[in-house]
Amino acid sequence: MNRPAVCPEIEMDLIATATGDADPATSGRVQRHVGRCAPCQAEFHRYRAVEDVVERWRGVPVAGEALAAARKRLEQRLDDLRRRTVAYRIFPSPLGNILIAVSERGVALVEYLGQRRHVRDSRLSRLPEVEAVEDGAEVEARYRELMEYLEGRRTRLEWPLDLRLARSDFHRQVLEATAGIPYGAVASYAGLACEVGKPTAARAVAQALRRNPLPIVIPCHRVVGSSGALTGYAGHKTDLKQQLLTTEGVRTVKRDRELRVPHDTMYVTSPGSTEYCLPSCTWLSTIEHPHRLRFFGTRSRAEASGLAPCTDCRPDLHPIPS
Amino acid sequence: MGAMGQQPFETVLEAHHGEIHRYLVRLTTRASEADDLSQETFLRAYRAYRALTPDANVRAWLFTIATNLARNHFRDEKRRRTAYTAAVAARSESDANAPDGEAMFQEARARVEAVVGGLPLKQRLAFILRKIHDLDYDVIARSLDCSADSARAHVFQALKKIRHNLAGHQLVEMEMRR
Repeated sequence: MNRPAVCPEIEMDLIATATGDADPATSGRVQRHVGRCAPCQAEFHRYRAVEDVVERWRGVPVAGEALAAARKRLEQRLDDLRRRTVAYRIFPSPLGNILIAVSERGVALVEYLGQRRHVRDSRLSRLPEVEAVEDGAEVEARYRELMEYLEGRRTRLEWPLDLRLARSDFHRQVLEATAGIPYGAVASYAGLACEVGKPTAARAVAQALRRNPLPIVIPCHRVVGSSGALTGYAGHKTDLKQQLLTTEGVRTVKRDRELRVPHDTMYVTSPGSTEYCLPSCTWLSTIEHPHRLRFFGTRSRAEASGLAPCTDCRPDLHPIPS
Repeated sequence: MGAMGQQPFETVLEAHHGEIHRYLVRLTTRASEADDLSQETFLRAYRAYRALTPDANVRAWLFTIATNLARNHFRDEKRRRTAYTAAVAARSESDANAPDGEAMFQEARARVEAVVGGLPLKQRLAFILRKIHDLDYDVIARSLDCSADSARAHVFQALKKIRHNLAGHQLVEMEMRR
């Protein structure tokens, strides 16, 4: 094998042509050369033989039954991974950076990151049961809807939700009850406690909402103290709560050095009622659980949630001066 | 779940699992190795799939992931070559009862497999990606961190070694007389 069997200047092209890897021009040139050079012709045929054998190899079935078994094992692992996976992205917003994460069941986490901008700053990185992956377009669509909401151009986020990050069944119940408070209304912690059947658990309700994995979407900002005090929000971010309520047409005032929702100048209704009233309506003095009342900043928001003006106090004829 | 306009991952699995698995079976000596590598390929792909751009070539992308995993796996090159050669020898023995022409082809194929198994890793990967799985040189180049020209050169080196190994083989000489 000391002497080259083929003209060196054409060797690469010859191999390419014989093994089906050459463009037509190269192929033509090689064919012409091979036609007049016997050693190269012989070499050309050897490479054709090699190509035939490789072709055979390509056609040899591998795996077979083993493949089906491997596929099954892979699918099981993928199922497990899929269940644990949440896809996230971090976006800028008027409320600071926000992380949105989506599982196969629905939106699982909305998290205020403030100035922080990395997933390692998120709750996600501290949850061993969760596999966080970066997302492309799906989360972005949610983000656009959320921005519309924050700008007051959208009043509903009709998202499928995944409450897997709720810490207990009680927390889940509180979150589900909170999700039922309409846009532009406020309820109280004590009222929600009654609603989930634990009338003395107002503090536990507040704790559950403090841990709300889906702020804005599950509107814990619509829950205030029985006195109307805003109390906490996502730790100490009462200003965010005020901002969200203002977007929804709920005014806040400062009384006794505390931000409050002024119940005495808001429209009011009781869960189960089909009407809304003025705060002076005589019917209000007869109800059993005053902390279950819900308040609206504007008539239009009360009516948008399906309520009619009370036929006794007629808030439609005597609207509260704004 | 999945980005807008993106196929669900099940579709990717359906379309490519067989081929990627076969690729890894060809590269490895034990079924369990191929199994582990192909599982890892698809689990990694699943994690990164959402962030993939919609116009990405999914097949090429999967081959790149699989090739990278295989390259890591085969860091201990020497051990692999020894194991591979032994495995190929064992495989070719079991075909002893085939008819004559077929036996000749199978013997030649076993020799090709043995040569390919003994190639330096990049040549071997380039050869299998190109000649068995028909991938473009720029895709192979990306998988091997080299230029398309080097990828092509790796394949040609492999072909030359095979051709020299088969020199004098009945099949090659027969082809000449055709």
